[in-house]
Amino acid sequence: MESIISNKGISRILSKTKGLGGPAMNLAQGRINTEYVIKEIKTNDEELKSFLFTLGCYEGELVTVISILAENYVISVKDARYSIDKDLAEAIIV
Amino acid sequence: MSMKEQIKVALTGNPNSGKTTLFNAITGRIEQVGNWAGVTIEKKEGDIKKGLNKTNVQVTAVDLPGAYSMSPFTSEESITSGFVRNENPDVIINIVDSTNLSRSLFFTTQLLELEIPVVVALNKIDLSKKKATNIDVDSLSKLLGCPVVETVSTKGNNNGLEDLISTVVEVTGKTQTAPFDIKGVNMADQKSVEASDKKRYEFVKEIVSKVEERKVISSKQTKQDAVDRVLAHKWLGIPIFALVMWAVFSISQAHLGPLLADTFVGWIDSFYAWVEGSLGDGVSPVLSSILLDGIIGGVGAVVGFLPLIMVLFFLLALLEDCGYMARVAVVMDRFFKKVGLSGKSIIPMIVGIGCSIPGVMSTRTIKNERQRRTTAMLTPFMPCGAKLPVIALFAGVFFNDAAWMGVTMYFVGIAIIILGALLVVRITGEKNARSFFIMELPEYRFPSIKRAAVSMLSRGKAFIIKAGTIILLCNAAVHIMQTFNWQFQAVAEGAENTSILASMASPFAIILVPLGFGAWQLAAAAITGFIAKENVVGTLAVVYGITNFIDTEELALVSGSADVAQIMGLTSVAALAYLMFNLFTPPCFAAIGAMNSEMENKKWLWGGIAFQFGMGYVVAFMTYQIGTMITTGALGSGFIPGLVAVALMIGYVVYLVRKGDEVAKRKVALSS
Repeated sequence: MESIISNKGISRILSKTKGLGGPAMNLAQGRINTEYVIKEIKTNDEELKSFLFTLGCYEGELVTVISILAENYVISVKDARYSIDKDLAEAIIV
Repeated sequence: MSMKEQIKVALTGNPNSGKTTLFNAITGRIEQVGNWAGVTIEKKEGDIKKGLNKTNVQVTAVDLPGAYSMSPFTSEESITSGFVRNENPDVIINIVDSTNLSRSLFFTTQLLELEIPVVVALNKIDLSKKKATNIDVDSLSKLLGCPVVETVSTKGNNNGLEDLISTVVEVTGKTQTAPFDIKGVNMADQKSVEASDKKRYEFVKEIVSKVEERKVISSKQTKQDAVDRVLAHKWLGIPIFALVMWAVFSISQAHLGPLLADTFVGWIDSFYAWVEGSLGDGVSPVLSSILLDGIIGGVGAVVGFLPLIMVLFFLLALLEDCGYMARVAVVMDRFFKKVGLSGKSIIPMIVGIGCSIPGVMSTRTIKNERQRRTTAMLTPFMPCGAKLPVIALFAGVFFNDAAWMGVTMYFVGIAIIILGALLVVRITGEKNARSFFIMELPEYRFPSIKRAAVSMLSRGKAFIIKAGTIILLCNAAVHIMQTFNWQFQAVAEGAENTSILASMASPFAIILVPLGFGAWQLAAAAITGFIAKENVVGTLAVVYGITNFIDTEELALVSGSADVAQIMGLTSVAALAYLMFNLFTPPCFAAIGAMNSEMENKKWLWGGIAFQFGMGYVVAFMTYQIGTMITTGALGSGFIPGLVAVALMIGYVVYLVRKGDEVAKRKVALSS
């Protein structure tokens, strides 16, 4: 069920963000200082997903990797900085 | 104006928006604050200061843990939404971090739907002005449909707080119209709520675009990011952290602390002499001895370390205030993840350097149950403020006041924590479990000297109260039990072993022989340590009558330190073993109580306590036996029985790990 929702999300956003789209990759593969549009939060952990949502980290929103520190990713979402680990960065599909 | 004479106002807002700082500022209370998300874990109440409240309405403020939304994710967030929903506050103050409107206002729009008047405190306005962010307060207020007051809760005056309180009183009993329309949303249907929440974010975006002008784009690199790249650097992060901690310990325990302690101990000595003088010869020697050696001596021995503790608390408060803690969590995450914990586990441990109880309580922000329980179980291994006198006493008496002694103890603590975590994750069979780490990185700021001083004084006060109550009673009891035998006759000189205390502590002392300190006096001190760790010092002072050696002309404990060592009859190695035993056994009962409430599981609690006992025993055994081997070339006393005990303990843990590994294997098999 979840996948149906997110698939819809992807197609909707893909049509909106030409050029930036391309093949889906996760944030861990992303470049520093590049703004990405989130396509999907890929996790079975519904709580995590809704938590990320309250931070403003959900499909359609912008995310930037600020730096990679000690195997963690510093990201900018809305107007805040967060440190996330690689597992979480891999769950954010851009 | 409302007719009510007494109103209750709830402080809500995102984590680290400054709720508790604002709460402290408006109530004059001294609740723990820190520059990271999730410092406050329980609600706190206080009345608004008279000076700020120009109305005749009595206002009670309730500080709540931070929340990002009304839908709870962590347990402290459910405290917030539960309180707002069930306790019907008259007004809600929504503290909004003005540097992050686009996230904060999401929660604001939800609060506006509760049919309770909301006042927005646009906080950290100094920070947003510094970034040249311009916020149109009037339009914001109009768009939200509620009053908005600019505040700087960290500032002493001209901070907007008076304005805030009068606005709160003004809106009491009034109705506001929620700006975001939730008609047609089925709250029971998750999809419907999700869709509406997305629209809500769109709505917030629209407001922000209308009221906010930014010069600094958030997604661009800043100086702060450059600082992060150094402090949380892959390789530099750990050495920098070690250096910072070393500075904290060496200033508090080897430099400034002892310097202040010197003067302080002088005062205690004069007090002792004064009481002794005023008692005269008319008082019975037993009574005067209980008063002088038992109470003043024992308590004085503990209180003498107050300056060291206050300096430590001061430095920790600075550290907590500047924003570095969240970076330490980032640095440690990589290592803690390898042992099944998360970087967040480091925060309870650093808080635990002050006191294990708030340390254990702050594990509540860790979402994963096993990680939370493991952290609660291991946090007490970080030597707390109460253990500091014990460390300082032994460092002074046996190791010539070496600063490295203290620092080493903290790093041994960290090593034990890592080992402990590794064992727990294996035993629980969750070595393959995955968990996510996400932590907000707050902006750095220059730590407030005033706030650190206030925090230091309040913790110092708590320490003195403890010394004047629990520790005083324990020392009096120890002294009485040592003075009398079971027939309630005063123990004759040379027959000290017949005292109540000696006969009670002796059976325990036997168990401690393989650790190098099988004397009943030392056993008694270790036991009283479970009531409060400071008691170890107090009891030692009482049972050995060494109070007078903790006076100093030059540096704390230097004078006569050789004599203290002689009286205790310990080699340096045995003393180190004894110190480690006291540091790494279970914490005081109060901290065990905190472990109980955070673990919420008896099996974990008892397992944790057993683990702590075992760890203390094994570490002390190794230290003593290996140390004795190195220094004298022979084994220490009681090696064989000790070895058997240690082997049994280690064997049992290995058995549990094996069992846990099988559980893990089965989990893998199931999931593939």
